[in-house]
Amino acid sequence: MNWQLAWPEIALAVCGMAILIFGVLWKGRSNAFACSMLTAGAFLLAALLVLSQGGGLGYNGLFVVDPFSSYLKLLILAGAALSLILSVDWNEREGFQRFEFPVLMLFSVTGMMVMASASNLMTLYMGLELQSLALYVLAAFNRDDARSSEAGLKYFVLSALASGLLLYGISLCYGFSGTMNFADLAKAAANPAGVSPGLIVGIVFVLVGLAFKISAVPFHMWTPDVYEGAPTPVTLFFATSPKVAAMGLLLRVMVGPFGHLLPQLQSLIVLISIASMVLGALAAIGQTNIKRLMAYSSIGHMGYALIGLAAGTTEGIRGVLIYLVIYVFMTVATFAGIGAMRRNGRTIEKISDLAGLGRNDPMLALILVICMFSLAGIPLLSGFFAKLYIFLAAVQVGMWTLAVIGVLTSVIGAFYYIRVIKVMYFDQPEAPFDRRPASLSFVAVAAGLFTTFFFVFPAPIIGAAQVAAKALLG
Amino acid sequence: MMYAIAVFSPLVGCLIAGLLGRSIGGRAAQGVTIGFMILAAICGVTAFVENTWYDAEQETVPLLSWVVSSTLHADWALRHDTLSVTMVGMVTFIATLIHIYSVGYMAHDAYPVYRFFSYLSLFTFAMLMLVTADNLLQLFFGWEGVGLASYLLIGYWYDKPSACAAAIKAMIVNRIGDLAFVVGIALVFFTFGSIEFPAIFGAIEQHQNDLYGLFGTNFRAYEVIGVLLFIGAMGKSAQIGLHTWLPDAMEGPTPVSALIHAATMVTAGVFLMARMSPIMSYAPYALAFVAVIGGTTAFFAATIGCAQTDIKRVIAYSTCSQLGYMFVAAGVAAYQASIFHLFTHAFFKALLFLSAGSVIHAVSGEQDMRKMGGLWRHIPLTYTMFWVGSLALGGVFPFAGYYSKDAILEASYASGTLSGMYGFWCGLLGAFLTAFYSWRLIIMTFHGKPRADHHVMEHVHESPFVMTGPLILLAIGATVNGFVFRREFIGEGWPEFWRGAIVITANNHVLENMEHLPGWVGLAPTVAGLTGIALAYLAYMFVPSIPPAFARVFRPIYLLAYNKWYFDELYDFLFVRPTFWLARNLWQIGDATLIDGAPNGMAEIAAGSSRQVVKIQTGSIAVYAFVMLIGVVLLLGLYMLVR
Amino acid sequence: MIASIAFYVFAAILLVSAAMVVTARNPVHSVLFLILSFFNAAALFLLAGAEFLAMILVIVYVGAVAVLFLFVVMMLDVNFAELRGGFQRYLPVGATVGAVLFVELALVLGGWQIAPDAGQLRFAPQPPDVHNTAALGRLIYTDYVLLFQIAGLVLMVAMIGAIVLTLRERKTSRHQSIAAQVGRDVRDTLELVNMPLGVGVSEFYRPLVEQPPPLHSDQPVIAHAGGGHGDGGHHAAEKR
Repeated sequence: MNWQLAWPEIALAVCGMAILIFGVLWKGRSNAFACSMLTAGAFLLAALLVLSQGGGLGYNGLFVVDPFSSYLKLLILAGAALSLILSVDWNEREGFQRFEFPVLMLFSVTGMMVMASASNLMTLYMGLELQSLALYVLAAFNRDDARSSEAGLKYFVLSALASGLLLYGISLCYGFSGTMNFADLAKAAANPAGVSPGLIVGIVFVLVGLAFKISAVPFHMWTPDVYEGAPTPVTLFFATSPKVAAMGLLLRVMVGPFGHLLPQLQSLIVLISIASMVLGALAAIGQTNIKRLMAYSSIGHMGYALIGLAAGTTEGIRGVLIYLVIYVFMTVATFAGIGAMRRNGRTIEKISDLAGLGRNDPMLALILVICMFSLAGIPLLSGFFAKLYIFLAAVQVGMWTLAVIGVLTSVIGAFYYIRVIKVMYFDQPEAPFDRRPASLSFVAVAAGLFTTFFFVFPAPIIGAAQVAAKALLG
Repeated sequence: MMYAIAVFSPLVGCLIAGLLGRSIGGRAAQGVTIGFMILAAICGVTAFVENTWYDAEQETVPLLSWVVSSTLHADWALRHDTLSVTMVGMVTFIATLIHIYSVGYMAHDAYPVYRFFSYLSLFTFAMLMLVTADNLLQLFFGWEGVGLASYLLIGYWYDKPSACAAAIKAMIVNRIGDLAFVVGIALVFFTFGSIEFPAIFGAIEQHQNDLYGLFGTNFRAYEVIGVLLFIGAMGKSAQIGLHTWLPDAMEGPTPVSALIHAATMVTAGVFLMARMSPIMSYAPYALAFVAVIGGTTAFFAATIGCAQTDIKRVIAYSTCSQLGYMFVAAGVAAYQASIFHLFTHAFFKALLFLSAGSVIHAVSGEQDMRKMGGLWRHIPLTYTMFWVGSLALGGVFPFAGYYSKDAILEASYASGTLSGMYGFWCGLLGAFLTAFYSWRLIIMTFHGKPRADHHVMEHVHESPFVMTGPLILLAIGATVNGFVFRREFIGEGWPEFWRGAIVITANNHVLENMEHLPGWVGLAPTVAGLTGIALAYLAYMFVPSIPPAFARVFRPIYLLAYNKWYFDELYDFLFVRPTFWLARNLWQIGDATLIDGAPNGMAEIAAGSSRQVVKIQTGSIAVYAFVMLIGVVLLLGLYMLVR
Repeated sequence: MIASIAFYVFAAILLVSAAMVVTARNPVHSVLFLILSFFNAAALFLLAGAEFLAMILVIVYVGAVAVLFLFVVMMLDVNFAELRGGFQRYLPVGATVGAVLFVELALVLGGWQIAPDAGQLRFAPQPPDVHNTAALGRLIYTDYVLLFQIAGLVLMVAMIGAIVLTLRERKTSRHQSIAAQVGRDVRDTLELVNMPLGVGVSEFYRPLVEQPPPLHSDQPVIAHAGGGHGDGGHHAAEKR
């Protein structure tokens, strides 16, 4: 049965339940803070457990642990931990701090970790649902804010639709192949000519359901509204860990059981990728709210990451994994900066509100500058290397058009990132922001340092990504 | 050593006056530059005297290594042969006199005066570098340096738009000649493998018959080189075609006109011909071309000079014409005569210009001769100087011009070639016209009733000694230079004097033939000159109605002469307007619309698309779900198609 | 024979009632049609031999979900006419997309190959020696225990979510504390007073019931639908 392989998830679930009980029973004033700290501890524990694991197949083929899943899990835990640190002060200032917040985050992370280790279509679905349900609640957490409720509702309804499509696809796959296990599916799909089209249609529906989660065009419509309406730490969480988990799952599904069919599906993935890059670049130009801007930016970034999947080689997978790491840290730093945007106790979200930050708060402005340049892909910041590895993989298999479109949309996209910098430094300064909490500064500086100095010592991450990609492709 | 001092003192003077002039003040700047110039003049004249009568050592003075690039070598060095030493002596002497003259002339100028003196010394240094060059590259450095100084000095009064335009015109027209010059240098390198004079002159015999393919035909390389170098000389020496800058250059202060556009810079072209005499001597067609151009210029400039009303312009066209004479002499391989006339011409032309400056100074800045007249009693010294200069220019015995000009005409007749004869007849007619317009100038300026107004006539005064002193020295030179130096330059002593600085082919016996010409050939220039003087007196002094009548009757000829043979108008139509048209179109259409439009257009496209794309996000869940379903249908449809 | 007739009858009613759910004008009718379709689906499950699933379907879907739908439909004053107003407008596009999807799926699923002995399997689905329920239990609690646990976590998260999003502790609403009620002491309710003659009650008046604490101003005050019972309580105390 090999259930020890799920130690990290089991530990997290148990910790989650314990923290829940603790939060309910101890009605002290700062139980939210205490629960957040306990949750951070739980994340750390889970990370240690992930690192100390061997590999293998568990729970009768439902669960797999390999370098690929470990890589993803560590990244998910990192993103969640950083979002959690950000949320402690934010929730308190906005007046909705409750101890259930870290608990829900914890359960969502559990779902994501199950997704990362899925080796059966049902496990995939269950992990997805666990993650999504917690996210619905988190999106609507600020229940006195109409926009937050709207975000949660929209996410829920559209996600339900996507889950429905996903489930329909799973049922088609099961119907046309007789199994839901990835290894057995791979055997069933081994001969591309003998595969019935029903299986491929099922895969397409599965792809649709997963594309929704990574907000790829045309299944991205929820992203701007939900990112804008949800509280900022939740948005950060949205932009990092679920994307990592869903992308990893997409990689595993497309390359593992359906790897032989990838050439047939390649054109679809290419189409989605191009559409994401183009829309992410163009639509962001007209945005005035910075969280919406980041939503479109994340759509674009996922488009770039999909190029690596479209390439389908080890270098492609490695490129996607590197992209995810760099993307997570860039996003964390940017949202830490966005989290500092408060004036007179009220949150402000317009890009024009950043005017004059260069003079009012040079440190924060500098971090935001680094993030913006990195998001745009300017060398030598980490964002450039992320794109480099992706385009390298695409060019190596001869997908020149895709790489060229990627570069062109990068150019168009650079506009709105640099516009933010221009607003910060060249516009008339407004009143300075409120004092930012130490936790926010810590997160911003840490992520900013990673973004800046990635190029100095990239080897560990690239090596780990290479190992993970090899484990996936076998 | 002395030679090096002669060449570099002006540079030191230029640097001190130019860089420190603002802090040390105008007086000190003047003193410094004049001091260094006097030093240079002493050294230069001494070197010349030593070379002429005392058999000096002719050692090239090496200075510094400059270009060492594979087979291309060029070093800074000061060549010490007769040609160089003669030029150095002449240039330093005249330049010093003009420096001193400028003290008086620029005394009431609005601008700080250190700039002027710094530029004058800069020019002198560049000219000296040119004439002492031991390789074509250093010569070209000097060539460009004098061009630069000319530009700076013509446009000295930089707030006058006409001055700035004249400076630019000079620069551009010279540039056209320089293009040919540079190609010529390249061709020299191509043919000889070196641009250093010792190497070139040593290999003259070897490459005689080298051929060079141009426009499909094979020409002799020496011919091509000769023509190219001459075109460069045409630009610098204002020969017909590339002469349009010289009259306009009169916008500069008069000392500048005297120094640069009479005595020294414009003679650089003639100097080049003489310096490259080894090559030119073996290029008969090129020489013929030189002679024809020179002759035409001599005649054509003289006709224009007859109709001009600005005193400086008359003298400018006179310079142009005299340069034509020098090129006629070079064209018949009588380089010695050419340099001799250059030498004497420097003195009397500088004298004429500085005297004109004195006149202008006297009539409070008026330059139009129609507003002068009746001055000879008021400024007798200047009047006398004008007579001396004009007599020398007209070639009247025993003034300097008589010897050198007659030598040229005799040589051209004696050459026996067709181009030589053409040069002779042009020169003869030119001599007649030269005398005519020179005395026209004198009469119009000094004689007759005063045509200036009352106030001006009251202020007419002789120039101070600092201005008249140089005039007197130049007048002495204009008088005696002819018969003092005749023997060495063109007479029996010429081989010992020139000592191989000028090379002529073995079958060139022009100088000998000059002694054995028919009698009338020797007298013809004098007759022509006296006739011109007489006619001028007749037309302007005794029967003043003749000029207007002539102008009425022969109106086309008059207009042709008055409007400078319409060269400026022709060039404007052929070159200037099309260039401006092209530039305007390249700017407005090519750059602003096309090249700028591409990125601007793309940015507009991106922004426009963005505006449309943003509208997709309507906020309605139903629409979102619908888009997702459409996406599913599209993907399925795509798969169906791709399958 | 009977089985195939039953299959077609149940399937037909299922499809028709499903269509009626979407097109019925009265929302309550929609829900009732939904319940009907659930029942028919349960019947189909029965025909396929999955009696446990059929019963669970009825209990969970009809008993809980459909009842919830009914509650919501009847409680909320939703203007269905307005909601369905866009139907006419979007009908062409929607119908086109739907038709395309249908054709694509039909093309794909038309390639379904039926196994030769599927006909018999349809009508004799039950494995001979073990109950449906026991078979399911064997699988869920052994092979698929991970999924089962995760499903449990999902349900717990749903519960947390519901509480987080909706529970507000109103200090204005009064809960009943049964323990306090039952533990009431006679000394708290009854007091025997010795009344001297000729003296009125008012000199001896002592309130027996504690005044409720004053309203906190920082709690959001929501107007109750039946707004009177707080005041009614006060009046009762004073009257005595």
